[in-house]
Amino acid sequence: MKTKQIITTSLAALLVAGFFGCSGSGEKAKEGFDKTREISVITREAGSGTRDAFVELTGILVKKDGQKKDNTTPEALTIDGTQAVMSNVAGNEYAMGYISLGSLNPTVKAINVSGIEATAAMIKEGTYPLARPFNIATKTSGTLSDLAKDFIAFILSADGQAVAEKNGYVSVSQGAPYKATKLTGKIVIAGSSSVSPLMEKLKEAYIAKNPEVEIEIQTNDSSSGMLAAKEGTCDIGMASRGLKDSESSELTATTIAKDGIAVIVNQKNPIANISLETLRQVYTGAARTWGSVLN
Amino acid sequence: MIFKNKSQIRERLMEGVFLVAALASVAAVFLICIFLFANGIPGMAKIGFGNFIFGRIWAPTDVPPSYGIFPMILGSLYVTAGAVLVGVSVGLFTAVFLARFCPAKLHKVLKPAVDVLAGVPSVVYGFFGLVVMVPFVRENFGGSGTSILTASLLLGIMILPTIIGVAESAIRAVPETYYEGALALGATPERSVFSVVLPAATSGVMAGVILGIGRAVGETMAVILVAGNQARMPNGILGGVRTLTANIVLEMGYAADLHREALIATGVVLFTFILIINLCFSILKRRRIG
Repeated sequence: MKTKQIITTSLAALLVAGFFGCSGSGEKAKEGFDKTREISVITREAGSGTRDAFVELTGILVKKDGQKKDNTTPEALTIDGTQAVMSNVAGNEYAMGYISLGSLNPTVKAINVSGIEATAAMIKEGTYPLARPFNIATKTSGTLSDLAKDFIAFILSADGQAVAEKNGYVSVSQGAPYKATKLTGKIVIAGSSSVSPLMEKLKEAYIAKNPEVEIEIQTNDSSSGMLAAKEGTCDIGMASRGLKDSESSELTATTIAKDGIAVIVNQKNPIANISLETLRQVYTGAARTWGSVLN
Repeated sequence: MIFKNKSQIRERLMEGVFLVAALASVAAVFLICIFLFANGIPGMAKIGFGNFIFGRIWAPTDVPPSYGIFPMILGSLYVTAGAVLVGVSVGLFTAVFLARFCPAKLHKVLKPAVDVLAGVPSVVYGFFGLVVMVPFVRENFGGSGTSILTASLLLGIMILPTIIGVAESAIRAVPETYYEGALALGATPERSVFSVVLPAATSGVMAGVILGIGRAVGETMAVILVAGNQARMPNGILGGVRTLTANIVLEMGYAADLHREALIATGVVLFTFILIINLCFSILKRRRIG
């Protein structure tokens, strides 16, 4: 008797929910895209690597006299996780968000930035503006061990670049296949936490070919990695950004892969392109409605 | 004789087991207290108590960073107040109906339905909010749909079973003679219930409301999905808001150093809130018994 009642009640609840859902979607279809609506700006939580790269590339992050200010509008919805950003954009016609290009799927629409399509090919060409390099740096003056040289050669070889592509990054060179040299010894690598997941994969692949080698990866941040490389406490430094002037004077940087950031909107949104300037205005709160972005 | 001894030993043994079980839960509370305060207070001191509690800007990644959680404190208060408004008005009338006016047959259906509501996991509530309520608010009230209003409505629904359950039993506990006396004096049944029975059950109803508030303040998963989580001063019922719980969960994964300590300190503030609410609850309960 009791179970029957529960089933009836849940069925009734389902009916009500279904009615709500249908009436909602019906209205939407009739109205079409309303340009006067405010943009639901979606950002990631403070500290997210994607957010750091996005605000830096778009100029939303203002640096002045050693101070940094993230000017992302306080009105922006804060959502944790790439998947959650995508499902929010998929459910809201008036939303705009950004995610790592590797995670993009057809539930949302990636729009062109400054007329350039967000694809791995465009990032490879260097025309898509929201791409961040994954760099490694070695000391210019010092002598690099043969082993470290060989590891870098592996990263840039067809095999190493295939590892990057397989893990959702954009390859930067098309070297020849790698031939194992069977060296022995130890390499110490330090730096960016954004690059280290890729470095871990590269390490696995390298050690599979050279089992006698030991590679130690210390994960902290780009700046610490560059400092360690300069001081010689590590062989190779990792950075998820370009090198600063003070760093490039003593270090030689090599880009090992690139990661893109896609600007995404709802599939029903007519927008196809956004300039970098407009994107900045949207994320700093200067442009609030879709009308000011679409024209 | 031996048998008696054996049973005595067994009794003693089981007493010990029960004591350990009781101590385990108390120990858990103490450990949580110690952990929270030991980790949170130093961070709070580093930021400055005033700057932390009353600071209006939360920008942990800026240089220099700002760690003000006043917007989140207000956010939690506003969302909870909204939830109480929704939950108490609907819940109280439901409780009165269930206790005094409901036909027995209907009660058999309604009561289990309310109980089912209590058992729904909060993330399911959150998903329901995100898929049904957020678009509904967006289409009918404007804004992005993720707002104080949506979060209040959702939390209001979530605290309904708590309020209904406690309030109903409080109303049922009022002696029948109160009701009959009021009727005898010429009051209508409705008037008897609302002017005589309900006031007599006030402390029990309040206990239900406070329990509901406790649940609303501490709710995390459902709120994160529908509140928008903007870390700025609340600006209107259709604007988004970030609660204390959301602040901790959103940023814990990436936080390091002082940022992390600030999040634990946020937990301390939340914990203090809950302690105050529970204290209110036990004071009310004691008064009802005494």
